[in-house]
Amino acid sequence: MRRLRLALALVALAAGLVNLALIVRAGDAPPRSPLYLVIAIVGVSWSFVAAGLVAWRRRPENHTGALMVAVGLAYALPGLRLAQTPAGYTLYLLTATLPSAVLAHLLAVFPDGRATSRLQRVFIVANYATTVPLAFVQLLLVDPARLRCPECPPDLLGTGGQHPYGEAVMAVSDLWDVALAGLLLWIVVSRWRRAPTPRRRGLAPVVQVAVVLLVLFSVRQALRAVLSPPPPWLDGALDLAVLTTLMLWPLAFLAGLARSRLDRSAVGDLAIELEQAPSADRLQQALARALHDPTVQLAYWLPDQQAFVDGATRPVELPPAGGRSVTILRHDGDTVAALVHDAALDDEPELVQAVAATARLTIENQRLQAEVRAQLKEVRASRARIVEFGDAERRRVERNLHDGAQQRLVNLSLALGIARSQVPATTDGELAATLDEAAEELRLALAELRELARGIYPVILSEAGLGPALASLAERSPIPATVAAAPAHRLPARVEETAYYVASEALANAAKHARATAVTISARRCDGGLEVEVGDDGVGGANPDGSGLRGLADRVAALDGHLRVDSPTGRGTRITAELPCGS
Amino acid sequence: MRVMIADDAVLFREGLARVLQAAGIEVAAQVGDAEQLLAQIRADPPEAVVVDIRMPPTHTREGLEAATRIRADHPQVGVLVLSQYVEPHHAVQLLQDGAGGVGYLLKDRVADVHEVVDAVRRVAAGGSVIDPEVVAQLVGRRRTRDPIQELTERERQVLALMAEGRSNQAIGERLFLSPKTVEAHVHSIFTRLGLHAAPDDHRRVLAVLAFLRA
Repeated sequence: MRRLRLALALVALAAGLVNLALIVRAGDAPPRSPLYLVIAIVGVSWSFVAAGLVAWRRRPENHTGALMVAVGLAYALPGLRLAQTPAGYTLYLLTATLPSAVLAHLLAVFPDGRATSRLQRVFIVANYATTVPLAFVQLLLVDPARLRCPECPPDLLGTGGQHPYGEAVMAVSDLWDVALAGLLLWIVVSRWRRAPTPRRRGLAPVVQVAVVLLVLFSVRQALRAVLSPPPPWLDGALDLAVLTTLMLWPLAFLAGLARSRLDRSAVGDLAIELEQAPSADRLQQALARALHDPTVQLAYWLPDQQAFVDGATRPVELPPAGGRSVTILRHDGDTVAALVHDAALDDEPELVQAVAATARLTIENQRLQAEVRAQLKEVRASRARIVEFGDAERRRVERNLHDGAQQRLVNLSLALGIARSQVPATTDGELAATLDEAAEELRLALAELRELARGIYPVILSEAGLGPALASLAERSPIPATVAAAPAHRLPARVEETAYYVASEALANAAKHARATAVTISARRCDGGLEVEVGDDGVGGANPDGSGLRGLADRVAALDGHLRVDSPTGRGTRITAELPCGS
Repeated sequence: MRVMIADDAVLFREGLARVLQAAGIEVAAQVGDAEQLLAQIRADPPEAVVVDIRMPPTHTREGLEAATRIRADHPQVGVLVLSQYVEPHHAVQLLQDGAGGVGYLLKDRVADVHEVVDAVRRVAAGGSVIDPEVVAQLVGRRRTRDPIQELTERERQVLALMAEGRSNQAIGERLFLSPKTVEAHVHSIFTRLGLHAAPDDHRRVLAVLAFLRA
């Protein structure tokens, strides 16, 4: 590929030099003004070839570069007329519009290098198909003087071109050019409108020059068709304007390349913004601005989870190959983050690398924060799971006691009752007394077992809800307890259970340590949550770090709630738990 | 008398059937869950049913829900709910639903077959039954200012028997008191507790339970 490019560069150079030599040889009588020829041959041809070779090297798989080189070489063809031989002249006339046809092809497929719509394909075919045939018809029917070459040598076909329809043929071919130019303008503008934002920056200069070029070209062809022919000064001026604009096109292409390659000011702005130690959201926005891609997404790598997450530690799936592009940011060979961006930014790896290097420290910092957040989330979840597991285990044990030991003892009671009822009242008072003793012992065992099971898990809580469960708790309390408020409706089981254990533990503390004479329990809905408060009139001085209260605080925290213990010495104890109900 | 038993514990169910049959009560059906019980009642309503509170499918409060439906659809069928837990809340819920003919008894109570048979007969006759253990928990509850402490020992006994759902006559028989004496105690208790005299035994139970739970 490199050799081919070198060869093409040499061909273009040689063709240009030959053309220049021919201009010099033509001396005072060149067919067109020397300035025009110099611009056409050297300016346009060489600049297209040079810019094309740059584009080719950057994106070998994209045909744009090759097309640009082709345009450059095609514009060296007009030198043929300078040979001032009949064959050269005829060949010149036949191929006179070929350079514009290749150029039109380039503009229609820029920057993808291939047609992306039906309209574009139709345009390219129509464009090429009419070039040489139209020139041939002109050659046959039109006055050579009308083809702006009165002194040209006679052509090979020798028809003289003095046909009565000559003027009409010229007008039709000029109008056909206007139509093609209009269609091409439409294609260029719609390509621009569909281009993703990051690509537009680099595309802007090229599109602007192309629009000016097409407008000038259309005006020139329209004037030729209408005025047939227009005054030479006007036609010459428009010719020069079209050609000059054309020469600007490769320069605009290179300018766009430089513009998108390294937007130093955007990178500078980014550096200043990073001074403020931005949040994850702001960082992502700053990167989007620096890269001119509002869709940029920054995903941090969490080695523990072997996964990418966003600033809020939500998992991020990297897009599959072929869709949006991913640039992996590394530090010392370790993956730090992934930058998901528009595929158009692949044209500008320097910009992406510069932005990544500038933001590296901040991104690394954010990654560590994301890692800590993810670990915290995991710890919270595991604490909630531990509490949940414990509660599930309590329910299971209660159920096993109820269906197992308790049921068996109840069956035993029944059997004893039947046995006792079969002892005749008149005989054997000793047997009846023994059976009564056994029944009494069994009754006590069942009562103890019942209390044990209830302590493990109060079934009333899941069956009837927090209100009845708190009422039941108060009814059994060894010190007078009242329930001042309880929610009328059911709440999530975790919330009800936590609220119940808070009340139960606080009540037990009041009875054991506080020397209280009255306890008030209240559970109220507030802000989508539940506030449980247990207050006593005891001696106060409860230790919030005691094992009971510490355990309660952990249990409440597992629900993302808060536990407050207010226990001034001599003024009672008030334990308050705020439980969110959302989770 | 005809009764039906619903309990998923087969051994217990059969033992209970034996006890009832020994007392001259016909056990028309023994089933394992509430749905079957309701079907049996619809087919041929008995005078009373004995229902376990926890039955399939969820093993939570199927018995209570069945009791509510039975009392609504078949008011002539008495319902005795058996539980392994002392929960006044459930007992009161049960009583509040209808006008008597319901009972809440601890399963342990089967140790005394006479008591179970008595409870079945009482709900069949439209009376109310509350387990003595439930009543004891309510009466024994600690209160800041406790008017029950101001009652005499005998009055407290009368209060507990009223809460269990017993009639004045039954209270008199239990405590070996004349009907007039029982009436005097009841009047005294209501006055001291600030309760209004209730028009019937069922509403008297509700009033006493409401006072005890307040």
